[in-house]
Amino acid sequence: MAKNHIIVALEIGTSKISVVVGESRSEGTVHILGCGKATSFGVRKGEIVDIEAAGKCIREALVEAEEQSNVSIGQVYLGVTGGHFESFNNRCPIDITGERQEIVEEDCEDLIAMARACPVASQNDIIHSILQHYSIDGQTGVLNPVGLLGSKLEAEFHIIHGSTKRIQNSIRCVKEVGPEVLLVAFNAVASAVAVLSTDQKNLGALVIDIGGGTTDYVVYVDGVIKLSGSLPVGGDHLNSDLSIGLRILMTHAEKLKITEGCVLLQPRLGVEPQITLKDETGFTGKVIDRQVLNTILHVRMREVFEILKRRIDEAGILAQIGAGVFLTGGASQTLGMAELAATIFEMPAELAHSQDCSGPTFAFESPELSTAIGLLKLGSQSNPQNTGSWFRNLLRKLPFVGMFL
Amino acid sequence: MITLDPQRSNASPAEYRIQIIGLGGAGSNLLNQIISDGLGGSTAVAMNTDSEALNKSLAPQKIQLGIETTRGLGTGGDPEMGCAATEEAMESIRQVLQGADIVFICVGLGGGTGSGGARLLAGLARDQGARVVIFATLPFTFEGQRRVAQAEDALAAIREDADILICFENDRMSSTVGLLDGMREAFAASDQILSEAVRSVTALARRRGLVQLGFDELSSALRGAGEPGARCLFGYGESTGPNRASDALTKALKNPLLDYGHLLQGAPNILVSIAGGTNVTLHEVEDLMTALNRSISPQAQIFFGAAVDPQMGETLSVTILSALGTQPILSRSVSPRAVIPPAKSLPIAPSEALGETDQEVVEETAKSTKPPELIPQENSRGGGTKSQTKKTAPKQEQMMLDPVGGGRFQHSEPTIVNGQNLDVPTYIRLNIKLK
Repeated sequence: MAKNHIIVALEIGTSKISVVVGESRSEGTVHILGCGKATSFGVRKGEIVDIEAAGKCIREALVEAEEQSNVSIGQVYLGVTGGHFESFNNRCPIDITGERQEIVEEDCEDLIAMARACPVASQNDIIHSILQHYSIDGQTGVLNPVGLLGSKLEAEFHIIHGSTKRIQNSIRCVKEVGPEVLLVAFNAVASAVAVLSTDQKNLGALVIDIGGGTTDYVVYVDGVIKLSGSLPVGGDHLNSDLSIGLRILMTHAEKLKITEGCVLLQPRLGVEPQITLKDETGFTGKVIDRQVLNTILHVRMREVFEILKRRIDEAGILAQIGAGVFLTGGASQTLGMAELAATIFEMPAELAHSQDCSGPTFAFESPELSTAIGLLKLGSQSNPQNTGSWFRNLLRKLPFVGMFL
Repeated sequence: MITLDPQRSNASPAEYRIQIIGLGGAGSNLLNQIISDGLGGSTAVAMNTDSEALNKSLAPQKIQLGIETTRGLGTGGDPEMGCAATEEAMESIRQVLQGADIVFICVGLGGGTGSGGARLLAGLARDQGARVVIFATLPFTFEGQRRVAQAEDALAAIREDADILICFENDRMSSTVGLLDGMREAFAASDQILSEAVRSVTALARRRGLVQLGFDELSSALRGAGEPGARCLFGYGESTGPNRASDALTKALKNPLLDYGHLLQGAPNILVSIAGGTNVTLHEVEDLMTALNRSISPQAQIFFGAAVDPQMGETLSVTILSALGTQPILSRSVSPRAVIPPAKSLPIAPSEALGETDQEVVEETAKSTKPPELIPQENSRGGGTKSQTKKTAPKQEQMMLDPVGGGRFQHSEPTIVNGQNLDVPTYIRLNIKLK
């Protein structure tokens, strides 16, 4: 029997750095052994702006995770994000030549190589080329073409690419701390893997990961990723808006957002219309109008959701999202987020947390860790010891940058 | 039988004869900078009343103005004297201008020679059938009201004779140099930027393009650049190497006159010209334009030009030119997004609200690029600066927007989506009153 395999996921977030140590079980689930968190410095909008400060925080988080899980961390799976990531769908055709009309494994591999080499901006690198469907001589929706007959094989890929230098920066930052980076994945993809069930993917789902610095999104249609991206606006912007609008410190703004903030305009029942802040010395300080607070948050989130909606609509897949919106990420915990998303996208919306894993509940029920857990899952699926998953075959050839090897 | 005259077919508009004239002290200094940066086929002429300054000029051709009127001295800041001095030298100027297709006049307004002579010079060039492009710098405010007023008068006068008028305010230049840089460096830096602008515009006019930009496009992109208070946006960058397209664009956007690309958001017409050696790929151009599109408003009209110039070798260059409509000089430090007029009423109907404000900004700037009715207001400012400040007083809330624009994200790359800077709080962009 395959040995259980230890994998470590690292997400360098704008507000916090999380490390999750997990064990990949042979049945395809992930058992969480421990996690480490550290408040992050030197990261803005999901990208590293101070490598030294960020490195320090990464070390802190790694140490905590090592202590909790009793594992020495030598290799990590790294999640990256940032507004520079872009995605598009690409179709690669290949002719089946010669006498044989049967499609063989090599043809599929050729297609995958083609997808990885498809042209993107020169300063960018492809980080994921995710296989969507095959089609043979115009017959669409073929899942596994090997062994079938045909003269022209085509495959559709979802290509995600981002700035080479910025991806390298994240990798270098981690390497300087110590661990080796095994694989790099786009955060949105990881979050979606963590929170969605296969049914939801098939029905069509929108996953929005509202993090500290970015809002990452992925749209699944018919079980495959059709659209993904990152908007460099996140919880940090909410805090900054509040601190500007209410003239309070950033730290106070964040606390206020978490304890009192709500992104809906309708007043909630049973709460005071005004909030009195305590100042440093514990005396009563500023009085804040709840309506003002909520309005600032509301317009910001409404804008974010509307930008996403427009992008999805432009891709023409808004109507194909059947299962609804799944919100995750730290800032999604702000009150009223799901309701607001439901109104704007006009479909059911819910807060989602990681599925199919075991371990301490706080870890997988916390939306902040969705990305890290998703990374674990991606890691366990790409782990060659984990046989038995048909998905593996696909994954082996599918993701991830080879550039840092 | 029809024979092709090779001489003729080569003498395409590529062979525009371009003359760059530096008029007065400031103009001559700028001309020196342009000459040392390379004229690239244009001819340069320096004209000044001050014979000592004229002697120092690097220009191959020099015209001494006002031999009788000023006797080789300066005008002492008197435009009338400058006018008379230029008039005196009319004949020699006419000879020099003979046959020029485009005349670039670099002039510093506010003093005597420049303010007085520019109009005559422009008129003369125009009468000889040349297109006239004027680069005018306006004096620092600290040089005194009188100089500012002289400059404004001169500006109003030359506007009629110029096909294209591009204004740079010296006050804005101060933001381009470091606090600790000496005066010398400061002036050198601003001359450097202006020289780049002049050189790239001459190059635009001269170069044969694959996608040709004509004089008309140039003037539409720069429409309004000469209005008082209007802002000429200019960026130029060149680079070599594998990432040259994005590097060149980054350099161009870094130009202080573009305020790191922030200012392009409000520009209604933008001219982009890409030039490079024979190996420029379509892919590079596409990349560059996609990247640029992120910095500009979706409603903006783009005049795109591309040229292949074998002399450029491995280099790829990009020039961005645009004009931002008139805005009161007083509020110049307020970035363009802050001059969005207060919305009439603010029911939150944001599904359209986003788009609407977007349009409003553009419409507003578009309207204000050709507002003859705005100018008298501006000029009537005269001595009544106090009343002006009083008028703006109730708009206090807008003034405070200035530091807001940056805030936590001041030093990070701006997040511009659909022409909006998302780092600025949404409620400010939607103009929602909080209380």
